[in-house]
Amino acid sequence: MNRLLIVDDSLVMRSRIARLCASGAVGGIEIAGQAANGLEAIEVARRITPDCVTMDLTMPEMDGEACIAELAGLLPEARILVVSALSDKATALRAIKKGAHGFVHKPFSDAQLAAALKELMQ
Amino acid sequence: MSYRSLRPADIEVFSEAISHFFATATSDPAQVRSAYVIERGDPILWNDYNGVINVDGGFAGCVAFSAPRSLLSHVLLRMGEQDFTDEKHRDIVGEIANILSGRARRHFGEGLSISTPAAFCGRDNAVTPRARSTPYAIPFRWHGYDADLVVHLDVLA
Repeated sequence: MNRLLIVDDSLVMRSRIARLCASGAVGGIEIAGQAANGLEAIEVARRITPDCVTMDLTMPEMDGEACIAELAGLLPEARILVVSALSDKATALRAIKKGAHGFVHKPFSDAQLAAALKELMQ
Repeated sequence: MSYRSLRPADIEVFSEAISHFFATATSDPAQVRSAYVIERGDPILWNDYNGVINVDGGFAGCVAFSAPRSLLSHVLLRMGEQDFTDEKHRDIVGEIANILSGRARRHFGEGLSISTPAAFCGRDNAVTPRARSTPYAIPFRWHGYDADLVVHLDVLA
């Protein structure tokens, strides 16, 4: 079972991702923790050592790009899926360079997110 | 630095973002209407909940999503929420503003630097105009509810 950390400053988005995973639509994944910004994500990640992470980019305290760079050093085995509203190519490429493994644009359908999470875990 | 006002093609980007959001996130399309100018002195936000994104970089101003509680409750329901607290309504109005602004970066590029959302209930004088040009409202209807995206932006010329 892959252990997922959900990082997003939106409570509604965190709940939506968690519900999708709990529904069995993804399979082989369990929610290990949640965080509302990059700093909190690093603290939680140290504690729970997730296998995979969904990462928002626009967040207070520490944004997603900085958090990805930190997590890539802290947990090099963890696979990171960016789930962000920022829709320009340059942002996606920069996130991948910093250590992300995939990118899903908001808004997303349940099917789009489930497919991206399955691909992330392969 | 000199800034220019929004052009019709710029405003169309935000209209498309509204259509894309509702079609993708709820599977039900919104009927987006023609944008109109908000007259000087009129409030730029007037609905129950408002989510405001301040914009920087080669831009100055804000993008605000202004919606009645009933529309937001329905969106939350479509996203699978089962409790409809004030906190959830403020969260989703800010998140929608964030998503619509983020999609505009396809057109404007990463120079459109967007803040985390500020969300609040009702009219609020704390929204200080940060752009000199005319604000536009893009009205739309979804499931019988009327709401607006307000775009008040100067673009670096």
